[in-house]
Parts: sequence; C-alpha cells; structure tokens
Amino acid sequence: MDRMLRPVHRWVWADFDRRVRKLIAFAQVEGDGGRDILRAAEVTPDPLLRRLYLEHAIDELRHADLFRERGAALLQRRATRSKALFNTSPLPGGHGLDDLAIEGEPDHRLLAFLHVAEKAAAGRFAIYRDVVDDDPSTRAIFDEILRDEVFHMNYTYTQLARVLPRSYRRQVWQARASRLWKRYVRAAAAVAGVMGAAVLTIIYFVVLGPFAWLAKRAERREPAGWRPIARDQESPTSQY
Amino acid sequence: MKILGISAHYHDSAAALVVDGVPVCAVQEERLSRHKNDATFPLGAIEWCLDHAGLEPADLDAVVYYERSMRKFDRILTSALRTFPHSWRSFPSAMKNSLGEKVWVRGIISAHLGVPRTKILFTGHHHAHAAAAFFTAPTRRAAILTADGVGEWATLTVGHGERRASGGAELTLLREVRYPHSLGLLYSTFTAYFGFAVNEDEYKVMGLAAYGRPTMTDAVRKVIRRTPDGAFALDMKYFEYQTTAARSYSPRFIELFGPPRNPYEPIDLETAEGRRFADCAASVQHVLEETLVDMTGALHRETGLPDLCLAGGVALNGVANARILAESGFERVFVPSAPGDAGCALGAALYADRVYFGNPDRDVPDHPFWGPAVDGQELARAAREDDQIVEELDDAALIERIAGQLAAGRIVGWMEGASEFGPRALGHRSILAAPHAAEMRDRLNRDIKYREAFRPFAPVVPIETADRFFELPPGGARLARFMSGVFPVRPEWRDRLAAITHVDGSARLQTLERDMAPRLHALLEAYGRRTGIPVLLNTSFNVAGEPIVNRALEGYSTFRRCGIDALVAGPTLVVKRASSPARTLKEHVA
Repeated sequence: MDRMLRPVHRWVWADFDRRVRKLIAFAQVEGDGGRDILRAAEVTPDPLLRRLYLEHAIDELRHADLFRERGAALLQRRATRSKALFNTSPLPGGHGLDDLAIEGEPDHRLLAFLHVAEKAAAGRFAIYRDVVDDDPSTRAIFDEILRDEVFHMNYTYTQLARVLPRSYRRQVWQARASRLWKRYVRAAAAVAGVMGAAVLTIIYFVVLGPFAWLAKRAERREPAGWRPIARDQESPTSQY
Repeated sequence: MKILGISAHYHDSAAALVVDGVPVCAVQEERLSRHKNDATFPLGAIEWCLDHAGLEPADLDAVVYYERSMRKFDRILTSALRTFPHSWRSFPSAMKNSLGEKVWVRGIISAHLGVPRTKILFTGHHHAHAAAAFFTAPTRRAAILTADGVGEWATLTVGHGERRASGGAELTLLREVRYPHSLGLLYSTFTAYFGFAVNEDEYKVMGLAAYGRPTMTDAVRKVIRRTPDGAFALDMKYFEYQTTAARSYSPRFIELFGPPRNPYEPIDLETAEGRRFADCAASVQHVLEETLVDMTGALHRETGLPDLCLAGGVALNGVANARILAESGFERVFVPSAPGDAGCALGAALYADRVYFGNPDRDVPDHPFWGPAVDGQELARAAREDDQIVEELDDAALIERIAGQLAAGRIVGWMEGASEFGPRALGHRSILAAPHAAEMRDRLNRDIKYREAFRPFAPVVPIETADRFFELPPGGARLARFMSGVFPVRPEWRDRLAAITHVDGSARLQTLERDMAPRLHALLEAYGRRTGIPVLLNTSFNVAGEPIVNRALEGYSTFRRCGIDALVAGPTLVVKRASSPARTLKEHVA
C-alpha cells in the first residue's frame, strides 16, 4: 500500500513545512514509543527481555532526538515559515505502541506487536528515505534508523519464538489483526469526532446567539476585582 | 473515619487516603502509570492507596472529589457564550471534553469503586487547595492565599483557617478573583509565548528570568492592571485562551512583546533575541511578585496573623514565595509539598474530615513522603541478573561509601523509603552530586537530565548549617523545608557552590531536618566531613519528559541509560560497569 502511495509521500515530503512537521511528529511518536518500551523493560520478569527492551527503548529515544534535532535544524535554516506550523497539532506520522497497555500485557503479545510495528515502520521509513533524496542529512537519519529497525525486527521475532515456541506465528497474525482493528477504531473515532464537532458547531451558531447576548449583558454588569464567596457554596454533595 | 480524596481530569491526577484524620498515603497517578502529568481518572493511585491501607472500597466512609464539576462546566459554557462568536472553534472540543466525561464524575467514581453515590462528596477546587496548605501546616491560625490557573470560577482566593482549642477546625475563604482574570494563566501565557509546555514548564520561565532585567514591566502592566479594591484584572484583548485551545496569546500580545519563540530553537542568551526573552521573563516574574507581595501584604494587615498558608500552582514559584516572606509582613509562610492540583486530593480528604464531618483536628506528620516504598531487593535481583556490580551494605558503610563517591565527582541515584507527594524530589527519589563546580551542572544537564543549559539545580543542606551557606531570612528555613523558596547563596560560598548557584546568585534550597530523612541527613554530614561543605546538589530522579521514578526498577532503568554512576535503593548499592551488557548483546545479535 505504502509503495503505491510513494508519489503521495514524495509530494508530502517535498513541502518544507510538512517535512518539518513530519520530523517533529516522528520525534514525538518515537519518544512515546521509547518510553512505552522502557516501561516494558521495567515490568517484564524475563531478564533477557529486560536487557533487549532497554536497548530498544534507548534506540527509540535516540531516534526521537535525531528527528527533533533535524526538524530544529531545518527550521533554523529558513528565516520565514508558515504561521500555521506550530499552531496545529502535529499529525502522528510514524509508529509507536498504539495505546498498548504495557502493564499486564504478556511478553509474547508485546513482542508480536513490536515485531509487526517495527516491520511496518521499517517499510515506511525506507520509502521516506528514498523520497528525501534531495536532503542528505534527513536521508542519513532514515538510513541510521533503518539499521536499528533490522535489529528490532530480528530480536522481537527470535524472542517471540523463544517465549512461545508453539504458536509464535499465530501471535504475529493476531498482532497484525489487532493493528488493523486499532486503525479502524482510530479512523472511526476520528470520523465520529468530526461529525460531533459539526453538530456542536451548528448548535453553537443556531442556538447560542440569544444566550450569548444575555451572558455578555450580565458580564458587563459584573465588577472587576474581588468577589465575595458565599458560604452556601459549601454543600458537600453538590457538584454545583 | 476513612476518606479517599481524588483529583483528576485536568492535570496531575492523584489519590490520597485519610484515616481518622491523619493522612495514610497519597500518590500521583503519573508515578504509577509512568505518563508525565497523567490527568486520567487515577484508578492506579486509588488501588494503591486502598491496598496500602488494607481497605476495600466498601470500607470507605466517603470519597471526595476535589472540585465541583458542574460549576466548572458552567464556567466553560458561560465563557463560550461571553466570547461568542469568536469561541466557535474551541466550543466543540470544550463541550466534548466536558460532556464526554468530566461532568459525570459522580457516576465515574461510583462505577469504578462501587461505592454508593451518597458517599461521594465534592469540595471547591480552591477549598481543596486551601485545606492542603492549612491542615498540613504546623500552625494554629493562619491566613490563606490560593492561586492557580483556574478552578471552577476562582483563580485566586484569600481566607483564613483556625484550629480551635475545642479540637475542631475552621477554614473560611472570604473572596475570590474570577476567571478569566488569573495570575496562573498570565504566567502560563508567557510560558507558551516562550515556547515551553503549559502546565509543565512554568518553572523554566522563573529560571530564565534570572538571566534578564525587568525592562518590560510597563508592557506587562498593560496586560495586567490592578483594580481599586486591591485585586487585579487582565486586559483580555491580549489573550486568546477564552476563544481557542490552540494559542493563549493574541496578535496584540505579539505586537506588544515581539514574535514568540520557536519551541524547537534553543534560547541563546548571547543573542539579542535570547536576551529579549530573558528580559520578558524577568518582567513578568517581577510583576507577578509585585502583585503577590501587595496582595499578601494587604491580607496580613487585614487578618493580623503571623502565618500564611500558600497553595495552588502559583505557590510553586519559589522566587515569589521568598519575596512574600520577606516583604508581606508574615513571619512564616507554609507551602505544602504538593501545592498544585495533585495536592488537592489530600486537601479534599482533609477538608471533608475537618469541615464536612466536623471531626477533631489532628496534627499531620510534617513530611512529604506519602507514596509507595522502594524495595532494595528488587533492585539487587535485577542488577545481578544483568551482571552489574551489586553490594548490600549496612547504613553506616553505605553512607560512607556514597559520600566518598560523591566527593570523587560521581553522580548517585538515591532512592529510599516512601516516595514524595508533589513535584519536588526531597531526598527519597533524588539524583545527588557534588555542588561545587559548574562543570557538574553542565554534565547533569547534558548527560542525565537532557535539558536546557540555563536551568539551575537545587541544593540540600542540613537545617543546622543552612545559614552558613545561604542568606535565610527569619522563616526562610521553614519555607525551604519542601524547596518552596529561592534564597541568596552567601557571596563567599558562590564559587565553591557553583553547580547550585544560579546566575543571579540564588538557589532553591531544601533545608533538611534529621527526623525528616535521617539517612540523607547522615549522608550530608558524612559528605561534609570529607569536603568541609555539607551541601549536595539534589535534583529529581528522572530524565526530561518522564515522571520521577517510583519503584526500584524504574530507578534502575534510568540508571542504565544515562550518566548516573551509582544507584542506591535502601541497603542496595549498584555501581555501573564501564561497558553495557545490553550493548554487547545488541552487537552480538546485529
């Protein structure tokens, strides 16, 4: 799918502001993912996995630094920039642990999930590396990260086979299905969010006008400065 | 009587348990979930509190939420109406946010804990702040001032509290300043303007202010004016936080102060731009201090009381606190270890106990250590499995060894006992280092904390010797108990305490009584015997973007991936090997 979208990716990365925003969003996602894997290192009872998770987390946190520094360096290179750059939330762009609850997750589920996520990220980062061929520094970062992703893919798979020798392949398929389901849920939630916002915006303009007039009139009558606190505000059971 | 206090849904959610009038435990959700400033409903914190006390939810007499959620919704809706039609962008998200979860808090608590709805009580947000400050302070009568971004409607309140001879207690808030006029939001707006994270990095503004001169105070006074009755009002044409969640300052604000800082560019104080930001920070800090000193001075004259209890997020401003102590007329200023919203969990429980139920007042132990305890055996097991150098020592040997390591310039992760409740590491989850050389500060900023070079580190010093190194006014040692005040380092010691002396010659010190943390106190004495200076650099045991460590394994994972040389948890000492086994493992796999 990503390969088919290569022209779209090239178009996205060709724009300076979008490139910076992507890099900074990747920094956020890698940092969050690193902290999640760090948590996995803290809670796993398996000493070997603890060491590997720790190494993985250190890599992810380093990737976050690389992306952040590159984004900052690009910003410094350009004197003027779009006003919208920092007024909008950066879109999630890379991978991460997709709200996986680390606490209470068995290691085999986490390993399968990590393997699938790292493989997907490696495929996508390989495309990004190719489409930023005009920017050797950014390309070098993707190159370095891709080398780490190979290690991450390998160790998660071999360790999954170690901790769950009989059904590790099934776990990987389950992780893929779970990832797809989460994508669907995220997309559905986003659509629901847009619909909800649209309905509330309509209500705002259609219904609130007269109340707004009353509220503004009341506000004009309010004195600035201190307001006394009535003792009857202290009912224990009242939410108001 | 068993009362659970809860704060949640804004930032720093937390739970606290009060049994028979005395706190038993309190913890912020972020310390357990490991998500910094975790604002979700604090189920983990509640479960830990109940487990710690050996209680089931059914055993609770009351669950107290730290604010009145419908009154808060009233403020959000009214604010949207008052700014119609400019609030159209923020209205949908504000409504979804409130109606999705926040206004149903009674049902949420009841569903999660299975307690009857009649047992679920509410306090005002600032009443919870005030209770957290007054009922934990060792004072019989005190004036109270709370100030934060915003609670329900109030952003700042004043009042007084009294412990009566009959055993009862009273806490009265007299008047308030209402949203949108807010000292906390003023400071947060400048925090955002400087490119820092709101509700998180306000202390960076305070640190930056020391590098600048208050040359822009006239501009700041255009933004905030004093009202004839002694309060203040913001000129809302400079702010946008009422109309959009995306930005808190308006184009007029930018016209007045210049372009905002790009958050991804470092602040270079050698450039004119960097100095402009520092001067701007110094100016807003100056006006904040001036306003607070004036308001607390008036409160002192009104109440005639010698003691003041301060709470709310604004009470984390140690420079302002020190000026209040010096200039307001109050002899003692008490700031709890958790003056922010997390502390409201404890405040709400204490308020319900003393005021709603009228239970007799009880002295609250005067320490901040209400969280989960560290397990040295857990650290020893993990470190041995990783082939680290592990030793288990008795207290005397451990303290001498660590004092020697610190004197040799090593950096030590120090964990003992129950974790602190509040944002400061006060000696139970701390990174300790020698305070003498500026290189140590730079090394910590670069290799361990991964943070801006301009940010200072704090010292910890035995209370008996604090006055030798720091210029403490009367009441200063008390304010410094929970690191709540910034005071000058004595000029003759500044060169020898360079790592903890800020650019303006000040330090946000902690004065340590032996009873509060006996092992750390002994370590300070041992370090003093070796170096002649019983002062250590004490910074929170975490790296940038992460909460302070809680369990031994969290300290251990932090130790493994940053430049900490030795790690202590209870009696266990782990010393870092030169090469990491994990690295060897990766090279082997690759």
